[in-house]
Amino acid sequence: MTTATREKVIGEPVDRVDGPAKVTGTAHYPSDFTFPDLTHAVLVQSTIAVGTIRGIDAARAEAAPGVLAVLTHENAPALVEAPVTLVDGPPPFPFKDNRIVHRGQHVAVVVARTHEQATAASRLVEIDYEEAAAVLRIDDPRAPVMPDRFAGLSGRGPGDVARGDVAAALASAEVVYDETFTTAPVTNNPMGLFATVARWEDDQLTVHDANQWPTMVRKTLATVFDLSETDVRVLVPYLGGGFGNGLRAWPHVILTALAARVVGRPVKLVLTRPQMFTSVGHRPESLQRVRLGASRDGRLVAVAHESTSTIGSLDNGQIEPVTQVTGNAYSCPNVATHDERARLNIPCPHSMRGPGTTQGNFALESALDEVSYTLGIDPIELRLRNYTEVHPVSGQSWSSKSLRQCYRAGAERFGWERRTPEIGSMRDGNWLVGYGMAGVTFTPGEAPCQATVSISRDGTAHMRSAATDLGTGTYTIATQVTAELLGLDFDKVHVEIGDSDLPSAPYSGGSALAVSLSGAIEDAIRNLVGALLDVVADDESSPLRGRSPDEVTLGNGGIQVADAPAIGETYLDILNRHGLPEITAFGERDPWANPASRPLGSFAAWFAEVRVDADLGLPRVARMVSAVDAGRVLNEKLARSQMIGGAVMGIGMTMLEETVFDPNTGRIANATFGDYLIPANADVPDIDVVFVGTPDEVRPIGIKGLGEIGVVGVSAAIANAVYHATGRRIRSLPITIEQLL
Amino acid sequence: MRPFEYVRTHDMAAAVALVSADPQAEYLAGGTTELDLVLKDGVLEPGRLIDITRLPLRGITCAEDTLRVGALVTMNELAADPTVSERVPFVREALLAGASPQLRNMATIGGNLLQRTRCRYFRDATVPACNKRAPGSGCAAVRGPARMHAILGASEHCIALHASDLCVALVALDTVVEIQGVDASRSVPLTQFYVLPGDRPDIENVLQHGELITRIRIPLLPVGMRSGYLKVRDRASYEFALTSAAAALLIEDDTIVRARLALGGVGTVPWRALEAEEILHGAPATRRTFRAAAEAALRDPFTVAGTAFKIELAQRTIVRILQEASGVQS
Repeated sequence: MTTATREKVIGEPVDRVDGPAKVTGTAHYPSDFTFPDLTHAVLVQSTIAVGTIRGIDAARAEAAPGVLAVLTHENAPALVEAPVTLVDGPPPFPFKDNRIVHRGQHVAVVVARTHEQATAASRLVEIDYEEAAAVLRIDDPRAPVMPDRFAGLSGRGPGDVARGDVAAALASAEVVYDETFTTAPVTNNPMGLFATVARWEDDQLTVHDANQWPTMVRKTLATVFDLSETDVRVLVPYLGGGFGNGLRAWPHVILTALAARVVGRPVKLVLTRPQMFTSVGHRPESLQRVRLGASRDGRLVAVAHESTSTIGSLDNGQIEPVTQVTGNAYSCPNVATHDERARLNIPCPHSMRGPGTTQGNFALESALDEVSYTLGIDPIELRLRNYTEVHPVSGQSWSSKSLRQCYRAGAERFGWERRTPEIGSMRDGNWLVGYGMAGVTFTPGEAPCQATVSISRDGTAHMRSAATDLGTGTYTIATQVTAELLGLDFDKVHVEIGDSDLPSAPYSGGSALAVSLSGAIEDAIRNLVGALLDVVADDESSPLRGRSPDEVTLGNGGIQVADAPAIGETYLDILNRHGLPEITAFGERDPWANPASRPLGSFAAWFAEVRVDADLGLPRVARMVSAVDAGRVLNEKLARSQMIGGAVMGIGMTMLEETVFDPNTGRIANATFGDYLIPANADVPDIDVVFVGTPDEVRPIGIKGLGEIGVVGVSAAIANAVYHATGRRIRSLPITIEQLL
Repeated sequence: MRPFEYVRTHDMAAAVALVSADPQAEYLAGGTTELDLVLKDGVLEPGRLIDITRLPLRGITCAEDTLRVGALVTMNELAADPTVSERVPFVREALLAGASPQLRNMATIGGNLLQRTRCRYFRDATVPACNKRAPGSGCAAVRGPARMHAILGASEHCIALHASDLCVALVALDTVVEIQGVDASRSVPLTQFYVLPGDRPDIENVLQHGELITRIRIPLLPVGMRSGYLKVRDRASYEFALTSAAAALLIEDDTIVRARLALGGVGTVPWRALEAEEILHGAPATRRTFRAAAEAALRDPFTVAGTAFKIELAQRTIVRILQEASGVQS
């Protein structure tokens, strides 16, 4: 079975299919859902970092106008422990006992008739704490260390790499490099505040919830409330971003469902912006050491990369894979990487776009830049001298790799040849101008996925799967893939996602959904064709009678014989003749049961022009160029937006963003948008994105995944440009004016 | 948030009488500070808000080299005024460097003078130690992470910053504040309007409870005097200053005849740099003079670890704005 449409839709920059609904306000986000008897919950959070609750006086809150219930660990019904997911263990549940392990931990939920009443009453709950000494610094020797336990997002492989003899190679290297890097904790901050609306009907629970993985939330809620999964439905048709926040069933989701059961009415809970900093994860702080050994002609003989990332106390989260990609980035015989986590009394960090790799790339690509100056070799040339055609950890060839073209195309569009190598040599008035670049090797994920595809007698097709659209374009690309594979017009295809009752789908995370869902759609359409051919198997009036799926192609709204395209008929003809209102087929793909024959990677090169005021030290990013090899691009417009969005996030973590934990109290000192700076439009320069490479031969539709790669490499490219402009090597993110004065 | 009464009045005497008679009452104008602190942060808990937006306190008039600006004029209205552009252009620059277009459409000039500090320790009621919010409770900002804080007029009692851009230019111009009380009205120079925190950071200005700012008088600069406002900030827009400076210079034969200089991002109040002005007066317009003035302006700072960089940054900011206003680069 192949597809021979007249007009290809995969790859085309078609507009978002959900665009009109979003701009007209008819796209309903989780917090938009309401019910006639809806009540509102507001969280009370701990004001100490560690200790115990001696007592809670909720009397004033309970007596406040409109209040229906005040839930605390003292009166909340016991729940079953939440399950381990495909990604990691559950976050600690705060109402299990009287322990406090971080400031901002939920200690009570106030439910009232209105949001304002619940907010007012939440300030009346009095908690008597017994405070203990908190561990709040990543380098605190009292911080327990969690070694590499979970492998990270499935498909990314185990963490630590050890090949060759790094110590010996470093000892004998002509040039040795050894530096320490730090990256600040930063907070995902999707625009949409996370919200949960929970409603019980007898023992059936329906939840509208901001998350990136409805089936995981369903399983979690079913487990903790001891229900069958079929009695829980999780809906997230639209989501206001997530960047990894939505890959866990966070405690507020469970508490909302619990509150709804206790008060016997639907409950809505919307996190406040400050609560978004403490309740749904953040990118952890990292402390990294990079050692490189190189020959005078720029060949790497040793790479050692170690990282410690922060994690919350009692958290069963995954390892933060900071050094994971280092072993695969360059050709080098002696490599050792190691990741571990330091347990602190902070809110649980968790996945944030390109987790780990983003921080690790900053250190590795900055280190290579430093070596390029030591050796007097152009930064691109240094990377080319260490280019690896094979996947170094496995020794196999990559399924596809066009990183060379990334360097070439990126350098050309950026005008890299205009760079004069000496530091501070490119001045424009008060501005010191610097050019910097970074290479990116990234391991996108994939995961088991299911879907159904239906064809109806009204001429439309429906694709259904429990996937989500973070806002990045799942609706649109799924429509494109389904339309092209079926040979139907784009506007005849409808996509239903964001509902846990639909066929099981993985997370919108790990750059995995587009490829995973496309694989399931492919299989469903293959099965659909089989089902249609079964229908006409004995149909004497069908030109397709007796044909097998191997003998046909799809196009022009129907099925044709592959080597005789004039012979065939439309889907509608088949349905009409047989009186079928619709025909549906199920499809699935499990990449873990049948792992790809060759290792996968997405690749990119980032280029940045930075300007630093010579007197004031003020840094500004002037422009950026990225060349990306993500295999086949499903929608050029959406893919470009993904890359630009990643770059904006990268500019944020490089120039502005830091979640500041008070080292004395554990309180986040800047948990508002007035104090935590994300880039404004004026901080975002021209960002030029070019796609290079070819469709991947190993994966469905040739996709490699580009949800995360846009953020990786931005920090190093900017930091390297800052060095070129000023001679200041900044090994600590964010880069601030005080480092450049 | 606790329940409060909302009153809108069209009569100024009634408004002043209402607030003066009720210690729990506060004025509500543009709301850009008040609504944050009352509704979102729960830091202020007024029993009654008197909406003054219908009072006849709008309009900008110019006479005898003085601009009279009603307290309810918005930031954007003042920025659009042609006399401001012509005669005090750095007021316009300071206005447009502040907040966002949406906020500037709401925020009033009177409110800008009275804006509360952005200090996140003040704005978080779960922080127990804040002398400004709870007199005598201490200052958590001095011991915790602090970067967007004051280094001039600060002490271990309080390092909260007055974050206005506009007021930096206004204080450089010797702007006068007109105030209406129950029984009388009075005028106070802006340089004497603010009160240094000392050991009572809760007292921020000379207003008695119930007194209402009705108008400000901005003396225009002499023709030929060049002015500029420079704001240095991490984010390129919609962000408070790390440091800022408003300067006006009149130069004749390479000598500074008149100088005005004020600083933002560093003071517990909008900071007039009188010592620096003394150095500038009569001195040659050179970079050396500017640097000497900058050093005088930053004498006796009070810094914590996170704000120490502001001394050097503020000095460089002053030198840069004096260079720009004078046209002298070396």
